[in-house]
Amino acid sequence: MPAAVGESAVKTATKRKRQESGDMIKKRRRSDADDDKKDDNLKARIEKLETEVQESKKHYNNIATLVELAQKHHDDPKAALRACEALCRIFIRLLAAGNLVKRKDVSEKEAAVTSWLRDRLADYRGALLSMFSNKQLASSALMLAMALLKAEAQHLSDREEAVFPRHFFSDIVGCLLESPIEQLREQFSEHFVDEYHDIRFYTFEAIRTYLTEREDSVDEDTQNTVFDMLISMEDVPESSEDLTDFYIEPPRKKKHPLRSLSQHKKQAQQAWLALMHLGLRKEQRKKVLETMADSIAPWFTQPELLMDFLTDCYNSGGSISLLALSGVFYLIQQRNLDYPEFYTKLYSLLDADILHSKYRSRFFRLLDTFLGSSHLPAVLVASFIKRLARLALNAPPSAIVVIVPWFYNLFKRHPLTTFMMHRIPRTQEERDMLETEGLEDPFLPDERDPMETRAIDSCLWEIVQLQSHYHPNVATITKIISEQFTKQAYSMEDFLDHSYGSLIEAEMTKEVKKPPVVEYMIPKRIFTKAGPAPEENDSLLASLWDFGSP
Amino acid sequence: MAGSQLKRLKASLKEQGIIGPQKSKKQKRQNAEEQKARPDKRLQRGEALAGIREQFNPFQFKTNARGPKFEVTTNKPTNDRAAMAIKGRPGLAKAVGEERRRQTLLVEMQRRNKIGGLIDRRFGENDANLSLEDKMIERYTREQQRAHKKSSMFDLDDDEPIGGLTHMGRPLFDDDEDEAPVKDDFDGEDLPSGDESDSSRAERRILKRQRLEEAVAEQEEEDGQPERKRTKKEIYEEIIAKSKLHKYERQAAKDEDNELRAELDQAMPELQQLLFQRHKPPSKDEKGTETSMVIAGKDKAAVNKEYDIRVKQLAEDKRAQPAERTKTEEEKAEEESNRLKELEEKRLKRMRGEMDEEDEEEDEQEEDKNKRGRKAADGEPYDTFQADEADDFGLGKGVSYRPTATELGFDDEDDFLIDDDLVASGSELELESDDMEGEESDEEDGSDSGSDDDEFVKGILSETITKDPVFQTDGNPKGDDENGIPYTFPCPQSHNEMLKAFEGIEVTRTPVAVQRIRALYHPKLDSKNKERLAKFSQALVQHIAYLGDRFEPHWASTLESLSRHVHSLAKSFPIEVAKAYRTHIQEIEQDRPLALTVGDLVILTAVGTTFPTSDHFHQVVTPAMLAIARYLGQKIPQGFCDYATGTYLSILALQYQQFSKRYVPELINFCLNTLCSLAPGKPQQKLGFFPLHEPAPGTRIRGAGKTTIRQLNFSDCQQKGSLSREDEASLKVAIISTITAILKASAETWHKLSALYETFHPALLVLQHLASKPNPTHLPGPLTAKLTDAVAAISRLLQLARLSRRPLELHHHRPLAIRTYVPKFEDSFDPNKHYDPDRERAELAKLKAEHKRERKGALRELRKDAAFMQRENLRIKKERDTAYEKKYKRLVAEIQGEEGRAANEYAREKEARKKKSARAR
Repeated sequence: MPAAVGESAVKTATKRKRQESGDMIKKRRRSDADDDKKDDNLKARIEKLETEVQESKKHYNNIATLVELAQKHHDDPKAALRACEALCRIFIRLLAAGNLVKRKDVSEKEAAVTSWLRDRLADYRGALLSMFSNKQLASSALMLAMALLKAEAQHLSDREEAVFPRHFFSDIVGCLLESPIEQLREQFSEHFVDEYHDIRFYTFEAIRTYLTEREDSVDEDTQNTVFDMLISMEDVPESSEDLTDFYIEPPRKKKHPLRSLSQHKKQAQQAWLALMHLGLRKEQRKKVLETMADSIAPWFTQPELLMDFLTDCYNSGGSISLLALSGVFYLIQQRNLDYPEFYTKLYSLLDADILHSKYRSRFFRLLDTFLGSSHLPAVLVASFIKRLARLALNAPPSAIVVIVPWFYNLFKRHPLTTFMMHRIPRTQEERDMLETEGLEDPFLPDERDPMETRAIDSCLWEIVQLQSHYHPNVATITKIISEQFTKQAYSMEDFLDHSYGSLIEAEMTKEVKKPPVVEYMIPKRIFTKAGPAPEENDSLLASLWDFGSP
Repeated sequence: MAGSQLKRLKASLKEQGIIGPQKSKKQKRQNAEEQKARPDKRLQRGEALAGIREQFNPFQFKTNARGPKFEVTTNKPTNDRAAMAIKGRPGLAKAVGEERRRQTLLVEMQRRNKIGGLIDRRFGENDANLSLEDKMIERYTREQQRAHKKSSMFDLDDDEPIGGLTHMGRPLFDDDEDEAPVKDDFDGEDLPSGDESDSSRAERRILKRQRLEEAVAEQEEEDGQPERKRTKKEIYEEIIAKSKLHKYERQAAKDEDNELRAELDQAMPELQQLLFQRHKPPSKDEKGTETSMVIAGKDKAAVNKEYDIRVKQLAEDKRAQPAERTKTEEEKAEEESNRLKELEEKRLKRMRGEMDEEDEEEDEQEEDKNKRGRKAADGEPYDTFQADEADDFGLGKGVSYRPTATELGFDDEDDFLIDDDLVASGSELELESDDMEGEESDEEDGSDSGSDDDEFVKGILSETITKDPVFQTDGNPKGDDENGIPYTFPCPQSHNEMLKAFEGIEVTRTPVAVQRIRALYHPKLDSKNKERLAKFSQALVQHIAYLGDRFEPHWASTLESLSRHVHSLAKSFPIEVAKAYRTHIQEIEQDRPLALTVGDLVILTAVGTTFPTSDHFHQVVTPAMLAIARYLGQKIPQGFCDYATGTYLSILALQYQQFSKRYVPELINFCLNTLCSLAPGKPQQKLGFFPLHEPAPGTRIRGAGKTTIRQLNFSDCQQKGSLSREDEASLKVAIISTITAILKASAETWHKLSALYETFHPALLVLQHLASKPNPTHLPGPLTAKLTDAVAAISRLLQLARLSRRPLELHHHRPLAIRTYVPKFEDSFDPNKHYDPDRERAELAKLKAEHKRERKGALRELRKDAAFMQRENLRIKKERDTAYEKKYKRLVAEIQGEEGRAANEYAREKEARKKKSARAR
């Protein structure tokens, strides 16, 4: 049965190959007709060699010829491919027949034949692996290699159980990683890694060994490919029972590592750690951080190992900090990570760019969680409110729309902070002082510690200013601050995902049904400068812009 | 009153006059006579006796033993008597119950185990109160009534004939139709085989005939007797006949009237002639009368028709009405100023986002619908009574107020505005329009003189224009004026058509062409023109953008007048023009949100002048403002053209908010960013919370000390190749100077905003940075002066803002009442009543209580019944016993009597014998 599977794999590979090389064949056909003949000859020859091997042991030397043909794939890819296919069939048959199994009870001569065959098999493997970097042959070579892998697992060793040929597999993975062909890796992940749990398991292992062995010599491209490959392995199984799809007959032992989820996770974790030890570049970091909570952290049996990575990222500032926030939060929440001065750091994230960042809504979801506790000091909450209010003065409407309902929720949760909206001077001196000197905002915008900003003594003039925002809906939303707080809370999700585009879209989707108001006075001048008449004044536009003279 | 019970009784009896001192015979007789005269005296006496009886029975009433149990305050006045009020009459109740039992239970008891018997149902048989005479009278009347009431239609006892049998509303045996043989059902040929045999049928027929003959004979007999009393049927028939006669008479009278009226109608023309002799020329009338007279004889219908027409004409004839008084100049001016004031008020209202009631309602309905849908989707977990707030300002669910142009009273007045300076001088049209406008514009001028519209001449197209050959579109030879502008155009319905139509016309002359098209296709000339002009206005909007994209400096006034044309068209076609602008904005947003062309800039400018930018929400202005803000907020300038475009948009944004003074954060961001990018040196420390983009290399201004300041123009906004050093420097200087001016203007515009200090402090820092040490060397002197000037102005404003700043006091709201639900107070609380909010439970409780009460009552009654029966049984037994005893005693006595006699006899005999013996002895 396995042999049959292997052969079918070979056939599909051949088919694909034929399609790929179809163009070339056509071209050649035009150039010289002899080539066809040659092709036929080659085919006949290889077939003959193959059948001879099948017929008797005498012709085993044919294998060597075929291997040689296969090794010369740079010169004649077609011949090499045919040879490889033939060899694959031959070896699968031999393996199935048990001719490659070392036995003690056989004669010396037979043992010599077996070891010779094994050497040829190794040569053949080498030939296949070297084809991985050949654009035309890589895909078929991969299929053949995997078919061979299966046959080897079944029959190479003496035992009844299948034994996974780790060595061969790690060679395959290594060559895959080094191969310049992107599609090959995609094919591999699509057809094998995503399909079979054991392949994934051994891939993790192979990647880890690959990376640890050549720790220093790994170049950037390989690192990238490893990264992409690891990132693509997404769906983490839920429990050990889910591990059912195996490429190679699974071990019968219940306790085998292949059958336990934690072992799978451990492999993945080690592969990731091996990669992270090499150091990630900024884009990779961002990508890792973005997918951290969904697809990387679940692979880890000990997410604590990510602590250093995450805290480093969090401390580095900018958008990386924003992205690391969710990971850090995961650790704080799940693994009891103690992050000193977490809120100070969080406060420092509120810089001029935060409201313009594309990770804004992501950040606000987290911020809502962090400041969700009603046990936080009001001083700290006030600092966050005041800082965001300051930022709102320069924020796009979609950001203002988020923060104001959030303020509302905070005010509801921390009634002490409502002094920022309503503060009546109590003493006469205070009132006199206000009359004579006005009021300086007591808030210290440059203070780094949110407990020391004196924001709680300040007022939210910024939000009041935004009540006269040019966008009608924003203005209406900001007015909730000065109305009675009758609502329990606003649901943040309603306000989070807006942008200029969505706001305009919302305006535009409304059909004009009622005639819009038209300015009742037609202005005398729009572009041209006002005449000499004394009562005429230039509009701002005409005075600041040169429209040329008529 | 002291004394024994008996004494008291006597006293009270005496008091009532029931007993008294013995009266003489005379007095007694007198009293008896009086009593006869006043029979109620006896009644009075009975009442008095009853009162006395009650008074002397201490168990007659049930009262509170010692007044009220608790002290309560009530509205009712309380005294001891009221408190001791009678709560029941146990004696009376007992007596009533006893009596009722006697009537029901006792009867039943007596009738038990008995069968049959007679019940006397005669009226008043058991009533002791009725005298025999009354009884008889009552019985007689009842009998009479019973007889009078017709219980059944076919009562055999009732000998009076009634309606008789009918079929389909017609009497079967009608006396009048006796001649006609009445058909029996069985006579019909359609029933050849009845249930009965032929012979029986024949028999029946014979019988029937006989019967009929007899009836006829009878009737003949009856006719002979004249004095027979008429039956009811006859009476009714007579009545019907009379009413029919009356009806006929009325009809006849009406017909007569109609005839008379027709006669009058025929004579109408004559009368009319007499009546309206003054108005109509005699010849015509003569003719009319002639014809009508002639026709009157022949064709009535035609005459009627004519008459109808005349009546209508008469009805529609206008009577002379007093013309409105000509208004004086002052009045006109006042009216105009009032109108403007009203419009301004409306604008302010819109600015504050207030809406008209009807609009609000409509919007609310719409919103409600949205809300419902949304809420269902959201599944909001919040309290329901204000959960919709979040949706109220749901983005994209803005509210708006859009009165129509007609509401504002524009459509007629400003329908056709021909701006006299739009007409090119020397063109012939000017003369024409002068001609046609001459009369009307005179009077309009006066009213307009006060307003800004004075340069507009409101030319309302008069009917004369239709006669003017120029305006007759059909079959008019094409003529051109000396500028090569044809007098007639096809009305362009799309931009392509417009381009074709304006081909060969100089761009600066297009306003003339537009004006001519508007005149040619004025809505008053053809009903289709409205549609045409609407499409034309849309094409014109596109044309403005088209011209804007190919802007040349001398086109400014052309674009201006074209936008003003669009504006005036927008008054008639607000929806179409708004749609055209909106489609343009949408195009911008979809294709090039961050790469605006000059055409887009011109369009945005035109939007700002055509529509009121101060409105809280406006269908065109709000998207336009968003488009501007999007560019300012999101564009990271790559070249100087981007800076220039941004600068233009900043000016535009500021101009949009000139009236309503709304804050535009993106403007500040852009201006500060641009200044920082163009500044010769990078600022050392952070200048504020605005996001800063690192400028492209070569953006910073260097060594422009000798450049003169110029103003920006549209050509700066267009992407160009590389600029020469001088051009670049002058452009940079121009941008910086313009932006400085914008910042200054915006600070002035927004000086009332509450966070002005926070908003403009960064601006101040940036300007100071530009004006401080190493930078001025790279900038021209006048620019530095301008910068310092702006710094001074802004810092002065900031100082003022700081002084006028007060702590916020936003929440001087009335404290909110806690919402109450369950404890609802009853106005008239009754502690015995159950105020259960659960209706079913309350009803169940009520039913249970009633059941309990009834049960108790029933038990009590049953017990009383049992007691009564016991009592009755006892009584019967006692009666029986006493009867027995009596009988026994009688018997004993009888026997004893008899035996006594015998004993006496014996004794006598014995005595006699003794005597005898004694004698004998």
